[in-house]
Amino acid sequence: MSPAVLRRPALSIGARRLPWRGPVLTAPFKHQWRCQSSYNHFVDAAQPISPPPVHHEKPFTLAVKDNIATTGFPTQCASRILSAHPSPFEATVIKQLRARGASVVGKTNMDEFGMGSHSVNSAHGPVRNPLSDDLSAGGSSGGSAVAVRLGDADVALGTDTGGSIRLPAAYTGTVGYKPSYGMLSRFGVVPYANSLDTVGLLAKKVQPIRSLMFDTGLSKENDLNDPTSLSLSTRKRCEQAMPASLHDVSSITVGIPQEYNIAELDPIIRESWEVAISRLEEQGVRVVPVSLPSTKEALCAYYVLAPAEASSNLAKYDGVRYGVRNEGPDAVGETLYTETRGIGFGEEVKRRILLGTYSLSSEAIDNYFIQAQKVRRLVQRDFDRVFKLENPLYEPVQFDLSDMAETTDLEDKQGPVQVDFILCPTAPTFPPKLSEVKNQSSVDTYMNDVFTVPASLAGLPAVSVPSKTSGMDLPSGLQLIGQYWDDKRLLAMAEKLEALVAP
Amino acid sequence: MGRVPVGELSRYLLGGRLFTNGCLTSFRRAPRSRLVGPASPTLRPFRSFHAAKEHTEPTQQQVQTPPAVPLRKKLKDEAKLARKQGKKKSKADSQTVEGWELTVGIEIHAQLNTPRKLFSSATTSFNDDPNSHVALFDVAMPGSQPIFQTGTLIPALRAALSLNCDIQPISRFDRKHYFWWDQPSGYQITQYYQPFAKNGHITLLARDGIAPEDGESVTIGIKQVQMEQDTAKTLAHNDNTQWLDFNRVGAPLIEIITEPELHHPRTAAVLVRKIQLLLSTVDACVSGMETGGLRADVNVSVRRTDDSSQTLGTRTEIKNLSTIKAVEDAIIAERDRQIRELDAGRRISSETRGWSIGSTETRRLRGKEGEVDYRYMPDPDIAPLIIGSDLVAHLKKSLPVTPDTELDKLISYFGLTPQDAVSLINIDNGARAEFFYKVLYSVQDMIAADDLDGEGADVKSYAALVGNWTLHELGRLTTSKAGPLGTVDLTFTPDGDCAQVPDAELSQLLYHLYRKHITGKVAKELLMALYLGELEDGVRSAIDTHDLWFKEYSLEEYEALADEVLEGEDKVLQEFATSAKFPQGKLMFLLGKMMRAGQTERIDPANAEKVMRTRIENLHPSPA
Repeated sequence: MSPAVLRRPALSIGARRLPWRGPVLTAPFKHQWRCQSSYNHFVDAAQPISPPPVHHEKPFTLAVKDNIATTGFPTQCASRILSAHPSPFEATVIKQLRARGASVVGKTNMDEFGMGSHSVNSAHGPVRNPLSDDLSAGGSSGGSAVAVRLGDADVALGTDTGGSIRLPAAYTGTVGYKPSYGMLSRFGVVPYANSLDTVGLLAKKVQPIRSLMFDTGLSKENDLNDPTSLSLSTRKRCEQAMPASLHDVSSITVGIPQEYNIAELDPIIRESWEVAISRLEEQGVRVVPVSLPSTKEALCAYYVLAPAEASSNLAKYDGVRYGVRNEGPDAVGETLYTETRGIGFGEEVKRRILLGTYSLSSEAIDNYFIQAQKVRRLVQRDFDRVFKLENPLYEPVQFDLSDMAETTDLEDKQGPVQVDFILCPTAPTFPPKLSEVKNQSSVDTYMNDVFTVPASLAGLPAVSVPSKTSGMDLPSGLQLIGQYWDDKRLLAMAEKLEALVAP
Repeated sequence: MGRVPVGELSRYLLGGRLFTNGCLTSFRRAPRSRLVGPASPTLRPFRSFHAAKEHTEPTQQQVQTPPAVPLRKKLKDEAKLARKQGKKKSKADSQTVEGWELTVGIEIHAQLNTPRKLFSSATTSFNDDPNSHVALFDVAMPGSQPIFQTGTLIPALRAALSLNCDIQPISRFDRKHYFWWDQPSGYQITQYYQPFAKNGHITLLARDGIAPEDGESVTIGIKQVQMEQDTAKTLAHNDNTQWLDFNRVGAPLIEIITEPELHHPRTAAVLVRKIQLLLSTVDACVSGMETGGLRADVNVSVRRTDDSSQTLGTRTEIKNLSTIKAVEDAIIAERDRQIRELDAGRRISSETRGWSIGSTETRRLRGKEGEVDYRYMPDPDIAPLIIGSDLVAHLKKSLPVTPDTELDKLISYFGLTPQDAVSLINIDNGARAEFFYKVLYSVQDMIAADDLDGEGADVKSYAALVGNWTLHELGRLTTSKAGPLGTVDLTFTPDGDCAQVPDAELSQLLYHLYRKHITGKVAKELLMALYLGELEDGVRSAIDTHDLWFKEYSLEEYEALADEVLEGEDKVLQEFATSAKFPQGKLMFLLGKMMRAGQTERIDPANAEKVMRTRIENLHPSPA
């Protein structure tokens, strides 16, 4: 089905029953960049109704993932069920960025509600990768990555639940940054899995991201509308627990997680990882192997927890207050909203709702949801064990050597060496062809998230920077992960890495 | 009783703002009675008492044949229950069934008295324009988030403390999933895994009206108290359309879950009534059952008393009982149904049942196969609720006197009957009791001021009088006696001020009545005039103006009056001489005649009776 065909009936349904006033209904979709673009990365861009840019000495253009609420554009999450949904409010993060000179140029295509790794599960059709036709742009923030890649926007907002910013960044050769959980406000971000959802930024280079986050004070701002936004006092405490800046790189230790060197890793990507290691060593950075033993279980835990939260979060889409609804009445026969939800949601969303509904059911919750929460805690402890810095959210813990893998190399009597950052590939493979994606099983697709999910489960900051590869036109993505709230040093380190490996 | 409104307390505790009235000054101050101005003849014509005498004569009879105590609307339920209990006692006892043991556990949902919703800053409201108090989060607008409103904690904690619960230092909020149109997010936020209060108890006493089988008292465990969201209001528009009012959605509720320790239907009903009273005493909840602020679900099971297995029978749940009478009736009906089923060799299936007011049977709503799996999940957006022990300690200290303590004082110190005491603190959400204290302390002051013997009058002697008038005489005003005029309901402020019958005036009236400066009949007339707004210058001035002071007949005058009455009543007198039993009724008839013949304000009925009695006693063979 072509996206245009898909959207027209959906729009008419939405427009008929939505009660909201304002410009959204009167002048939607006048300018559709999506139509001019062959990459299908914008869903709507209508400049006349975009809020006027705040006068600023450093103006920049901003593309916004379609699951972040905007008042100038519909907020549809690439879902039929929210066709033409005019959000009555604007997300905090957009207000914050507009105050810093951003002018919103459009909403970007994505996987429906953020569920996917290739931006193909969209009511608007798949996003295409400008690096090579017919390649996946990665997901779920694929549209944002492409907008940055093509220069349609200087900076793009994305959301990262299990890698949804980092993966498209890696696939499109851009920089994708997922901050520490709780740093950027989620108010106005349509939740997929609240405990994992993180708002983040994409750009061609690290510098504009680092500048926005730390030169403009964005990282210090608390949002009272978001209960998961860290309070000012906690922010202060976390900040004080972290070194203020990245000193001489020769005092830096970078860990290479052994468990990430998996058989499925593309040899060319492994090679670029190795090149990065030697370049860092040349700069005097100490590089050591580290062990993150819970990595193997992390992906399973993620695909239990995220769908569980999703099944709960998406229960609100019933067509009663907003969004589309079926023609007939509710509650005909044995079911209430089956018709509406059946029409409104795409296949992957339905799959995850069913998965989550099952893992929360009274017969399965102990074996799935509760187990997965325990794994999540183990993953987080793995990271705390290898990082030099304590996690500022927890009381310092002593780790017992018997808890660690036997293969762990010990630094001295104190235990294994501890590191400042972890370096690993962002994705195990290069972007697959869209035609291949279509034939992939959902479990194969989930495999793409294997390197990005652990940092999400632990709430840690992570950034993907593009790296040159030998023998391929495509860049690979290298991921740096830091301790909680060590974002400032992480981005500084990413900037150095970028300089060493940039394509 | 120092009922500190929850709003003030919460402003103080959470906002650091001091009370406008001051918590420190909330100790009872005896209200000063307004000085009644010097008796000046009023030119304004007002209701003549003599005219009124004739006017009210027909109703006099009604007074003499005592009517069922006509309490106000809010008492109706209670009166009905009491009447039913009265009836039941005479019939076979419905509280037990020979050979069977009933076990009941109750869940009570009550709306917390707070200005804001549980997770949004929208204001809570009652009967406002539909959908006028709705925040983004209330309608589950995509991207909106829950913000816990700390103010809701104060009434919740007071409620839990009044039920003797342990307050948990850490509690959490969970999502309970089910689809219904009154639930915008597809789940209700509640406290399933870790509620904020546990392990409480409530003691029910014989005077609360528990089943006689439960003896003097019974203590029921409170398993837990949890905070949760209310749903939207559904208004059926026509057959196919439901209208939704989201004003109520997200309003804070507490759910109180008792242990399954109740074994008699009446005791279960009494528990609900007592919890309702407790919640209103500590100002934790907006309203009682009669206005829909409180709903109860009951879990009912039965087992044979000779069953040695110690396990309870299969239970069924009856949802959404909205009156206290319904609690008792539904339990009886469900118990009897279960026993019938088991006697017939069938099984009880675990199911949800419903009850309609006035019916005799519970009805099946859905069976186990139709049970919803609520898929409880910790809400990932809401931080754990951490309650400081200092807050709990402060609230414990500032908790108002419990109704039981107050009842004890009303009964044993002030000498009210248990029935009157219970009524007094139950009606008008405690405002009537406040009114009672105001009047009582004014009367006390006046008595103390002219205390002649210096010994001080027994407090019971006038407290019971004040109690009787605050309850029954005031109750009568709005019913039969006032006729079409008595349509204005008495209204009381929470502080115990009454617009229609000012406490200062009533205490003046009762003081004179107590001192026998006026007769009871005059006092009643004055009260009615007061209620109807006919006493421009107050009670005192009205008595002066119309010379209603009680100047009692002398013994000779009484005797003359008696003789006058007996004139021509030979037939009646004959009966005194012949009947075996002393004809008390005839005496009353003669006395009535004597009262009518004389001047009301000069007759003390007791003295009149004495005189009449001596006059005829010698006629009867065996004097009573």
